[in-house]
Amino acid sequence: MITSLDISTSGLIAQRERLTTISQNIANMSSLRDANNRLGPYRAKHVILETDNQMATTSGAAGVKVAEIRENDVEPRRRWEPNHPLAIKEGRWKGYVEYPNVDMTEQFVDALEATRAYESNVGVIEMTKNMTNQTLRILA
Amino acid sequence: MESSIFNANTTPVLEQVVNFAQKRHSILATNIANQRVPGYKGRDLNVDRFQKVLAEAIEHKNNPNAPLSPGGLVKTKSGDPMREVRDSLNGILFHDESNLDIEKQVAELSKNQIMHNMALTILEDQFNLLNVAISERV
Repeated sequence: MITSLDISTSGLIAQRERLTTISQNIANMSSLRDANNRLGPYRAKHVILETDNQMATTSGAAGVKVAEIRENDVEPRRRWEPNHPLAIKEGRWKGYVEYPNVDMTEQFVDALEATRAYESNVGVIEMTKNMTNQTLRILA
Repeated sequence: MESSIFNANTTPVLEQVVNFAQKRHSILATNIANQRVPGYKGRDLNVDRFQKVLAEAIEHKNNPNAPLSPGGLVKTKSGDPMREVRDSLNGILFHDESNLDIEKQVAELSKNQIMHNMALTILEDQFNLLNVAISERV
């Protein structure tokens, strides 16, 4: 039963990580420079999850973990703003400003899904606690 | 008196049911935790098989020289329904090649929880009965 709690906790952590990344994407949807002041629009990030066999039991139960956080390789959005100080100075996209490739709809749907997944893990934890309580009642 | 309570089929049977339900719970919790992992296939323990093996063990118990012990169910490694994890739910395969129906998983979890708690309640009743019997004697 304790393993079930660990498994659900790993689910909670994974989903929270997803939500954090989504918050980061939405917060940075207008960032044109990175943390090191280098020019270039922010790129949306995706959390990749994988099954974690570290806490695997003999009966095949396993947790989940964040495998990596990968950047979206979709082209940045370009807006025609020739007077913008960061507008592209030459070439094909002259006069355009590159904005992050964060798609709001996608992010919100993802956030909703992560929230639901988080809630379902909390539900399982409640069930585990209930079952453990019932088991311990034998001792009482 | 003693033999009729301890040797009754129900106590060891209920113990096995509780044991199985707890193992299955952790497998189903795995499915919920891994619901967003691309390519993850739902897993489950084989309930039908477990019940069949349990029924066989109860039948076996009717033979007076063979007590129903966990030996018949848990300790045998191969073919043990408590270890036999299989892919479950041959349902829709989603774009990320996972096949988890979250609703079905939660329903299975609830059913499993009910089975677990039911077995424990009956077990507890039996122990209460035993307590009453003991206190009457003292």
